[in-house]
Amino acid sequence: MKVGRREFLGLGSAALVGLSLKSERRIEGSFVNDSFQMGHLLRDRAAFPAPKKVEKFPVVILGGGIAGLSAAWRLRKRGFTDFVLLEMNAQPGGNARWGQNEITAYPWAAHYVPVPGPKAEYVRELFEDLGVLKNGQWEERYLVFSPQERLFLFGRWQEGIEPAVGLKQKDRDQFQRLEDLFAGFRKSGAFTIPLELGRSAEFSDLDSISFSDWLQKHGFDSRLLNWYMNYACRDDYGALAKDTSAWAGIHYFSSREQEEKGPLTWPEGNGWITRRLLERVGENVRTNQMVHRITQTSRGVQVFAGETEFHAEFAIFAAPTFLAPYLLENFGAPLRDFVYSPWLTANLTLERLPDSRGGEPSWDTVFLDSPTLGYVDAMHQSLRTHIDRTVWTFYWALAEGAPAQNRQLLLERDWSYWKEAILHDLERVHSDIRQCVSRIDIMRMGHAMIRPTVGSIFSEDRRRLAQPLGRIFFANSDLSGISIFEEAQFHGVQAAQKALDKLSRHG
Amino acid sequence: MGVLLFISVLLVAACGLIYELVAGTLASYLVGDSIFQFSTVIGTYLFAMGIGSALSRYLNRGLVYRFVWIELLLGVIGGFSSALLMLAFAFTQGFELILYALVIVMGVLVGLEIPLLMRIVRGRYQFRDVIAHVLTFDYLGALGASLLFPILLVPRLGLVRSAMLFGLINAGVALWSTFLFARQLSGIRGLRAACLLVLCGLGVGIAEAKRITATAEDNIYADDIILARDSRYQHLVLTRFKDDLRLFLNSHLQFSSRDEYRYHEALVHPGLAAISVPRHVLVLGGGDGLAVREILKYPQIESITLVDLDPEMTRLFSTHPMLTQLNQKSLLSPKLHVVNADAFPWVDSNTDSFDFIVIDFPDPTNYSLGKLYTTAFYRAVARHLSAQGFMVVQSTSPMFARDSFWCIAQTLKQAGLQTYPYHVYVPSFGEWGFVLAGAHEYSAPTLLPSGLRFLSLAGLPALFQFPSDMAPLAMPPNQLNSQVLVRAYENDWKDISH
Repeated sequence: MKVGRREFLGLGSAALVGLSLKSERRIEGSFVNDSFQMGHLLRDRAAFPAPKKVEKFPVVILGGGIAGLSAAWRLRKRGFTDFVLLEMNAQPGGNARWGQNEITAYPWAAHYVPVPGPKAEYVRELFEDLGVLKNGQWEERYLVFSPQERLFLFGRWQEGIEPAVGLKQKDRDQFQRLEDLFAGFRKSGAFTIPLELGRSAEFSDLDSISFSDWLQKHGFDSRLLNWYMNYACRDDYGALAKDTSAWAGIHYFSSREQEEKGPLTWPEGNGWITRRLLERVGENVRTNQMVHRITQTSRGVQVFAGETEFHAEFAIFAAPTFLAPYLLENFGAPLRDFVYSPWLTANLTLERLPDSRGGEPSWDTVFLDSPTLGYVDAMHQSLRTHIDRTVWTFYWALAEGAPAQNRQLLLERDWSYWKEAILHDLERVHSDIRQCVSRIDIMRMGHAMIRPTVGSIFSEDRRRLAQPLGRIFFANSDLSGISIFEEAQFHGVQAAQKALDKLSRHG
Repeated sequence: MGVLLFISVLLVAACGLIYELVAGTLASYLVGDSIFQFSTVIGTYLFAMGIGSALSRYLNRGLVYRFVWIELLLGVIGGFSSALLMLAFAFTQGFELILYALVIVMGVLVGLEIPLLMRIVRGRYQFRDVIAHVLTFDYLGALGASLLFPILLVPRLGLVRSAMLFGLINAGVALWSTFLFARQLSGIRGLRAACLLVLCGLGVGIAEAKRITATAEDNIYADDIILARDSRYQHLVLTRFKDDLRLFLNSHLQFSSRDEYRYHEALVHPGLAAISVPRHVLVLGGGDGLAVREILKYPQIESITLVDLDPEMTRLFSTHPMLTQLNQKSLLSPKLHVVNADAFPWVDSNTDSFDFIVIDFPDPTNYSLGKLYTTAFYRAVARHLSAQGFMVVQSTSPMFARDSFWCIAQTLKQAGLQTYPYHVYVPSFGEWGFVLAGAHEYSAPTLLPSGLRFLSLAGLPALFQFPSDMAPLAMPPNQLNSQVLVRAYENDWKDISH
């Protein structure tokens, strides 16, 4: 081939430009912990294998999230060890799952538990068992270290997430007036954790309007106040204030004493609790056990998982309750008030800390007006003084639009799409984030948490499921209508206790 | 002759550009804001060249003679410009004034060169060839200079010697011109003598450049910086002024060799001398080996464990002759075991017990360091105390950071220890404080090691007296989830410095 002078120059300069192009850090990663496929097998009523063997236990627990593990914890604490817990996924923990890399352990979903109030007896008992509460003192290492939270707004940082910068007198007045209203609800004693202990018909009308309508009705039109209320609903319920029951919105702010102490947290978030529970009940746990059918007679319950048929006297249904109609024969009227919010969480491995525009590294970082919920730093609870690499857990409740559409979006878009969306969000504040991140793993959850929609807290469905269905006790946190650790643990322990009571009566 | 002539055009052009680059670079180095400095230097220089070109019309007779003088002047001014600017920055207030004056003078002289040269040679070539050749070599010279400057000159020669080297070239061109244009010159001998004089002067300058630079730099930094190093964890700077060695970590003074004995004697002996038979000692922080030097004054001690995050720090203080003289080679003692680790995780994972523990961390200036002053940390450290054991904590100044000092004392108390705060005057720090803490009651020592320069048994009780301006304040304990100490410390020093 003969190359003319002009071509030579052309090729040469192209090569030079090519060589001199800046290369971005390569970011690895993938979707992890997908469980869509198994869920869809149930939904589509796929054919499952016929059972080949039978195992017998007095109690079978379905679901290895916090509710199921708490039920197991209660059984063993009462000296009852003859039971099995069946978990669909490879890793137990549900919304309290965790991951680990060479830098640190990190959460996959729930990452803290507020310091429990006096009514949360089971939680206090658990924390005494785990050494978190000693002689009435909370272990300092498990309280979130200071500085705890920061919010990026109007081009700067502030400590804390409730906006305190750029407020006009009107905003300040509204925040104060709202806090006074919340204080009144707090005093009423009707907004408690566990929710069931306080819920009273006196406030049931709050469940018939949305939180945003309630705010509007009371003249709260401050933009920053409404942003903060929406943030709270997205954070705890995966929903916007307009899709949340006013009762639930108020519960978020009125159910806890104003504590100076921060919440309890660990590098792997509530995964730490899962690990401690597994140390205690792990020998009863079986993973990769997809239950595909449950039947019952007056004498017992049959649970079909894979090629095994488990025969039990009682079953504790701690898996998300929306699965019950697919698994249980004769479940009865379909569930109406069980709407779930789709979520996405991502764990970002950082080879160095990005530019923070002068902000003190904090545990939880939130950006004003972002559709996401920001991120939590897994190394924040490290005792080290020198930290160069870390893992950030990025939270995104897909709250805008209908849950079904967002579930579809989660399924359709590929990893690169979400990776870019996450980086775009972070880049608004951390301009060099792409040079710092080496890996982004993403977990998609179609039914991440129950959504307290209007009317759902006092719904007929919930009242029905508080009672056992034959020999089956329901235990998931969605029975409360809100998805928090304390509710899951409460229902798990209660279900275990009911099963124990029945067993002793049946002798 | 033609080629030689045009080569001198090339050299002259290169010289002109180098002086401009030297001025721009020095201004950027010394004053900062390189965009502003380069823009204004180049702009002024080009403008002055325009003035030079305009002025060239007023030179009518003896063009070669004048050209040789211009080259000599440029050789001197340009050649010494860099040294002159450094000294101006170090010793005068008027750096900018001198900078722009120099730039203007050099620009005017450089602006005169090319028009004069063109007129000198115009009789020998056609006008269009003169223009073409002169400008071609002018630009070639500029290209050569602008490539040489960053690639070879600055890294190899430095700014002072680069300018002088090009001064030599200017003077060389002057000398060469007296041969090249001999027929058009009178008074050649005098000119050649002047050329040789300038060449010699620049030659001496190049040989002595180091001293000029050193003189200027000495005056730019108050003290000699004898070592500056970035380790993975911090920025270490060691300075010396006469016999005073000072260590700065991230710009915070750690010690001055003139009075550090006061600090380290007070840190170690009130606690250690009170323990009847100390055998095992732990030092957290203190990679300078100065606390270890004091601890080694007790012959009955069998082992010392030193935990310091930064291996660069302990390496430096075991090898640098000035520093090993200061710590009396304490880091090389066979009794010493050095661990380069982060203190809190190390304390958590280690199970040894110690009779005396020295905690000598940098002040709690940030939340990371604040973790090492918490109840959680002190509880973890206290688990390492033997039955007779005590720990002592460097606790900032009870005078300048009174809240912080009493916060640390309260934190130790909250961790379940009995506390015995005391203080000492260290001239380079001011009034400084320590807290002794242990599980049982402290009674003052009855014997101190010999050879102490500051502490005496008679003077000890006074250390534990706090006058009213440093008297105890009620402070909350510092905890991981509150970090009140970092906030208090920031406030304390804000009050002092503004």
